[in-house]
Amino acid sequence: MDQAPPASVSEAFIFHTPSPLESPAGQVATDIQSLRDGIAACSDASLFQHVTRMPVRFPHARDVPENDFARWVGDVMQMPEVSERLAFVGSASILDFGELRGSLLGVLDRVQPKERKREAPEGALFHFLEAHSVLAPLGVEARTAAEVIEVWPWIDLGSAFYHLVEAPLQRTEEQALIPWLREHGGKSMADSAEQVVRSSRPLNILLKEVGSRWRRSMIGRRLIERAEAPELERQREARAAMARLAGRLRGRGSKS
Amino acid sequence: MSAARDDSAAYAPPIGDGSQLAPTSPRGGWLERYEQLVGARTLRALEALARKLKGHRIVMVNTTKTGGGVAEILHRVVVILNELGIETSWEVMEGDEHFFGVTKKMHNALHGHTQPLTDEDREVYHERTRMEAERLALDGDLILIHDPQPASLIEHRREPGQHWVWRCHIDLSRRDEDYWDFLKPAVSRYDTAIFSHIEFVPPLTIPAVLVPPSIDPFAEKNRDMSEEEIESICDRLGLDAASPWMTQVSRYDRIKDPIGVLEAFKLVRARRPAHLVLAGGSASDDPEGAEVLAEVREKAKGVKDVTILELPPQSDIEINAIQRASTVVLQKSLREGFALTVSEALWKRRAVVASAVGGIPLQVLHERTGLLVRSIEGTAFQTIRFLDNPELRRDLGVEGHVHVRDNFLHTREVRDYLAVFARLVG
Repeated sequence: MDQAPPASVSEAFIFHTPSPLESPAGQVATDIQSLRDGIAACSDASLFQHVTRMPVRFPHARDVPENDFARWVGDVMQMPEVSERLAFVGSASILDFGELRGSLLGVLDRVQPKERKREAPEGALFHFLEAHSVLAPLGVEARTAAEVIEVWPWIDLGSAFYHLVEAPLQRTEEQALIPWLREHGGKSMADSAEQVVRSSRPLNILLKEVGSRWRRSMIGRRLIERAEAPELERQREARAAMARLAGRLRGRGSKS
Repeated sequence: MSAARDDSAAYAPPIGDGSQLAPTSPRGGWLERYEQLVGARTLRALEALARKLKGHRIVMVNTTKTGGGVAEILHRVVVILNELGIETSWEVMEGDEHFFGVTKKMHNALHGHTQPLTDEDREVYHERTRMEAERLALDGDLILIHDPQPASLIEHRREPGQHWVWRCHIDLSRRDEDYWDFLKPAVSRYDTAIFSHIEFVPPLTIPAVLVPPSIDPFAEKNRDMSEEEIESICDRLGLDAASPWMTQVSRYDRIKDPIGVLEAFKLVRARRPAHLVLAGGSASDDPEGAEVLAEVREKAKGVKDVTILELPPQSDIEINAIQRASTVVLQKSLREGFALTVSEALWKRRAVVASAVGGIPLQVLHERTGLLVRSIEGTAFQTIRFLDNPELRRDLGVEGHVHVRDNFLHTREVRDYLAVFARLVG
């Protein structure tokens, strides 16, 4: 946690929770060639649905499944090598959509022309979808970087994903948490969040990892604050901390 | 019962989102029960979306209060919406036998079983719709009409300021175009149409949204059961097998491929001890079902360790117990709608082997939440993998349960409906 004072305490960061609505995008792939054409022509919202949203679609998975294109090419088209390449390209962290599209097309362009026209079995075509999020204020806001740490346990997985990944990608800058942290005295928090987001880990792990890194980053500052606090206040906090610890130990004991 | 009951997947995974750290707001009723399953954070997100619709009033309309999946969903969803603070009522369109005769034909034809649509059918449908449009209390500003039967109400009752949404629960991918042409003018007047799966969406001039169906974890079909209860129910059904069970629960219909299941079982049985349970609804009022059931029985003659059950309606507890007692649950369909029975088995942490058709791949992610197959041999091979490997059953069972918790419980369906309405009201 940086020591710099917040740039402006009046600019609260208001957390929103997204509810994504999926809808048909129009394109249908029947073979590798039409998958390629679909990726070339589809909207950013479609790439977002099929690639970027994987962590939030499987928030508690042990690890994030490969993207939809890779899965279809592997499971349906039975082309494991192409599937692996698509999975790798899609697992790269925040790319812009142009870059992502270019990388996916690059993989498919390497497929031999005779392989591109082999048709998918009936009933197993790839239908392109789009996802558009409906936002609702979560009723949680932070005025300083430190307050973000305080409110983090209130933030749902979708909201964390929205503010850390989706909003920057959709260029809705005012909803992007990392730049806001940078502007509000939380440069190291922003850096550590960025580092975790790049790791493409399952969302529930990402959320916990961000929270614990931030809490760790507060230790130095909290020690200084406590050292400067009046004796009575320190005693009260110490008693409260011991009570919490005792509670946890009791809880652990009753489970065993 | 002495079935080789599979307890390897009994471990309940934690929510794991750290939501227990956050203070919780007091909730009552079903929301509180759901909170125990999905976590406080997910519930708070749902409540946040609901706040956007405070002051609005939702009216749900379908054609039956009891029986059938839609009524089951509405019973719970209406209560949850009210608990979320959105006034929601449920109206049931009534009709006489002529009307329901026509809507039954319509239902079948939209599923692909073509029957002629006569002028009299059209008149019966329109006349009843006109009468019901006058009678029903469609006094909300957000109207959610379920399925084709009441779809034409919009032509008589739409008022300024109202938003109408059509929720189609059925698979229209093999629709009879005559019936669809008959319905389309009404459907085109809605603000949005909702479908369960991309392949069910017909060409439309209005926005279409995809909302998969969901299961009720507290319903008799899905609720937790003690070992004793499972054993007692299976005993009552005469299910007594020393070998692990592989089970398919579905009606006796060719598209569910019960014969294929039997063939796969024979391949499995040649290599491993196993017992096959085929459990389906009563075929007494379904001539085609009775024919398929007779064929299955004929083919099963002389095959050891096969139990074929014909369950009466309202056998939810029995189905629950059978699924929980099974080592492997199969859904070897040749064609499928959404196949929510797969989610029901995954919710029970069962090892699932299922065909990669219809909505099944949304529920079974190959090698993650279950195993996908495309052939009889594939079904046998993947079943044997599960039979031989308790760790694989446990790991995929746990992931499957988590996947259903995140994506196929009623709270997710409620959230989707709220999102559709929130987008409409702006």
